[in-house]
Amino acid sequence: MLIFFSFFCPVCALLCVQPKPHTAVTIAVSSRTLFNMVEERKVWEQEGLERYVSYQQEHEEQPLKPGAAFPFVKALMTVNTRLRELYPEGEELFDIVLMTNNHAQVGVRLINSINHYDLLIERFCMTGGKSPIGYLKAYMTNLYLSKDSDKVQEAIEAGIAAATMFTPDMETELSETQLRVAFDGDAVLFSDESEIIVKQHGLDTFFEHERKNENKPLAQGPLKCFLEALGKLQKKFYAKNERLNCPIRTYLVTARSAASSGARVLKTLRSWGLEIDEALFLAGAPKGPLLQKIRPHIFFDDQMFHIEGAKELGTIAAHVPYGIGQKYHKGKLIEQLAKKS
Amino acid sequence: MDPQSDCTLVTAVSCHDIFDLQTGQSDSSPLAKGTAFAFIKAVQSVNERLVKLSEKQTLLFEVILLGKDCEEQAKSKIFDSAKYYDLEIGKFCFCSKEKFERTLQENHVKLFLSSDRDDVHSALKAGVPAALLCQQADQQVQNQLKVLFSGDLIGLTEDSTEYLKDLGFNDVQIHNFKAAKGRIQEFAMLIGEMRRRFGCEDSPLHTILMTVWGSRDICATALKTLRAWGLDVDEAFCLAGAPCTPILTVLQPHILWDDGLHNLKET
Repeated sequence: MLIFFSFFCPVCALLCVQPKPHTAVTIAVSSRTLFNMVEERKVWEQEGLERYVSYQQEHEEQPLKPGAAFPFVKALMTVNTRLRELYPEGEELFDIVLMTNNHAQVGVRLINSINHYDLLIERFCMTGGKSPIGYLKAYMTNLYLSKDSDKVQEAIEAGIAAATMFTPDMETELSETQLRVAFDGDAVLFSDESEIIVKQHGLDTFFEHERKNENKPLAQGPLKCFLEALGKLQKKFYAKNERLNCPIRTYLVTARSAASSGARVLKTLRSWGLEIDEALFLAGAPKGPLLQKIRPHIFFDDQMFHIEGAKELGTIAAHVPYGIGQKYHKGKLIEQLAKKS
Repeated sequence: MDPQSDCTLVTAVSCHDIFDLQTGQSDSSPLAKGTAFAFIKAVQSVNERLVKLSEKQTLLFEVILLGKDCEEQAKSKIFDSAKYYDLEIGKFCFCSKEKFERTLQENHVKLFLSSDRDDVHSALKAGVPAALLCQQADQQVQNQLKVLFSGDLIGLTEDSTEYLKDLGFNDVQIHNFKAAKGRIQEFAMLIGEMRRRFGCEDSPLHTILMTVWGSRDICATALKTLRAWGLDVDEAFCLAGAPCTPILTVLQPHILWDDGLHNLKET
């Protein structure tokens, strides 16, 4: 039991400026996803931690360049501006937190960089090497983005929506007025129950199974709650007659085909009371070209194959390390591939 | 004055925090462990590691036990229990309640720790640096001493006065915050020097900065100020109004220096 801080509460009550964690949609981004720290990382890998920290201090006044999550964060800020216009006293907003296990001394450069781009990031945790998972829970994080797949895995296992971000191979022009988020279906919004059937029993069994269970909702996946959080904010715009001009748009980009396995997906979403703006059924076609047209600020998928495809064509992709898809590469069991080679 | 004592981080802890003096004890068994137990053991690990680095080490923690209005019977129990648990206590100071502050001053206490906020408050009023001693949820975790500093105080600059007034603090409180910042400095400098003896990783001493209501710029100022004082903190948190209890529960610091924020009680 900790004996604490009743005297902090009167102070917190004085501040009505910041979104409160329990109503806000909290997005935690790591320093390497927010900023491009490739050069700095090389220093750490080649010369060690002490040299890395001094290097950062030496370059403190030089702002870091934007990273993979930067456009996403700017888009979140745009939504907040629109929400504040419609609801000046509102607390249901995006709350962006910098969650890094960088050493606190690197913090000065990070804060200087945040100031340079005028980013709306007021809260941060620099854990000096410790795992951020405990802090993610303490901040009631709705989504955690990192470049470190181990941490992302840990977060998902702890029940926090998380994804590993990848920098696209080329730059794409993204909307500055509308946040666009694209989701894969199975093992991202939904559980991997159907994907297991495909992998273990093949497509025909899968189609049969989906048809039979059309009216039985799929179980939820790791990113369902994040879609729900986006939906709540969207409804605030609809309530003020801004549906056509809503600054949040969501997409489902699934390898399922509309005819044979699509109905179950749509019915599941409906049973959850969730809407998705556009549902795109690819029937197995590559996702890259379609995503190029959509230009999302972030695209979530559980299979590295799709992530790579998206990356190649300029989409900011985030890998969700969940479910049976992790054991496979391009349709083959990873263990078997290892045995063959 | 002994030149060595300048470098020694004399830390005074109340015997009521080291041992549990409330629960009835049989004559033979030692006193039960109190809130400060984990702290003392953590401090001992720091000292051990410092001495390992250099046998002639002068910058060490020295823990003094302070007993306010203790009965004779209790005193001998305290001595025995300290021996039983192998606690490295430099001095046992028993005094009356009235002489409490004077005892702190006479012993050149660089830091007084107590879980009792009123005691911390009185020590501060008497000009003795004091901080809150925190109970650890897990009494077993004793291999790293964690010290947390309030960034809201350290990040204060002359320009902050307007900002503080906007937040609703009055002149007396603002004056007290500024005084508190001065008091933290000496302790922070000593901790900084100690911390520098160890590398980034595997340090028995771990320092944390936390800004509760300050903006990120206040946090950045606090980081730079501490750096100028010789303390490079390991972890930094800027809460900007978010509740601090959940984070503190994860951090579990032994010492929490939030000094001037105590004065909110006076309003």
